[in-house]
Amino acid sequence: MMLITGPLWSGKRAFACRVLGCTPEELSSRAVWDAQDLAADCENLEALAEELSAREAVLMTEVGAGVVPADPAQRASREAAGRLACLLAARADCVVRVFCGLPLVLKGECAL
Amino acid sequence: MLTLVIGGSASGKSEYAESLVLAAGPGPRYYLATMEPMDGECHARIDRHRLMRAEKGFVTVERYTGLAGLTLPGPGGTVLLEDLGNLAANELYSPAGAGPEGALDAILGGIEHLRVQCRALVVVSNEIFAGGRDYAPGTEDYLSLMARAHRALAARADRVCEVVCGLPYYYKGAEE
Repeated sequence: MMLITGPLWSGKRAFACRVLGCTPEELSSRAVWDAQDLAADCENLEALAEELSAREAVLMTEVGAGVVPADPAQRASREAAGRLACLLAARADCVVRVFCGLPLVLKGECAL
Repeated sequence: MLTLVIGGSASGKSEYAESLVLAAGPGPRYYLATMEPMDGECHARIDRHRLMRAEKGFVTVERYTGLAGLTLPGPGGTVLLEDLGNLAANELYSPAGAGPEGALDAILGGIEHLRVQCRALVVVSNEIFAGGRDYAPGTEDYLSLMARAHRALAARADRVCEVVCGLPYYYKGAEE
């Protein structure tokens, strides 16, 4: 599994299509995106990470920077997103951060 | 030569961008200021940046919107545009700006217009995309505009770097 992370609207899906060689329409059968939202209501992040690591690619938007939210639910969801990202990165063959559309390999070797 | 320098608040991106301009060699240096001073905090920030540029030979040009209509005082110079975040806000929200429909084209067209007038252009911008998207209504339009501008500029730039603690990381190209 390739984990593709990056800030909001940094071009992660376009990168995933390029690296997987698929169209935006085909991407849903190849990859999961906005995985940070799946973490929010998840009871078992380990199990979620296991399930997601069977996919070809998992895309996540980084949400943990900036001021810690005052709202407890928002605080919990971004905490969960960060933990899920770490669990996925540990299981991933390759981790890429996309910044302004430009990929940076953080782990493994990926044919970009 | 187009360089995009991105960083968070107080990441050292201004100083680093300035060092790139100084390294670009002799010739006129233009500091293109896009922040329209609105209050004391703005003036304090401007004073700080003016001090940083003191004795470095920068000619300050102030322009808040419509870069496509800007002619530099002379050719062959180096331009430091600071910053894209203010320019985008001005194009989006200012009465003189291009508004939601035209803001992206105004930014990209304006930067291209500048680029062909100078030897090197360094654009400073702001990393604002990793703090979630739970902002006041309307802020998402601004975020979206900035994200599109960043991706488009990064695609056409010769160099793209992110500055962290004053240190650059290059996603594209390299420091010379």
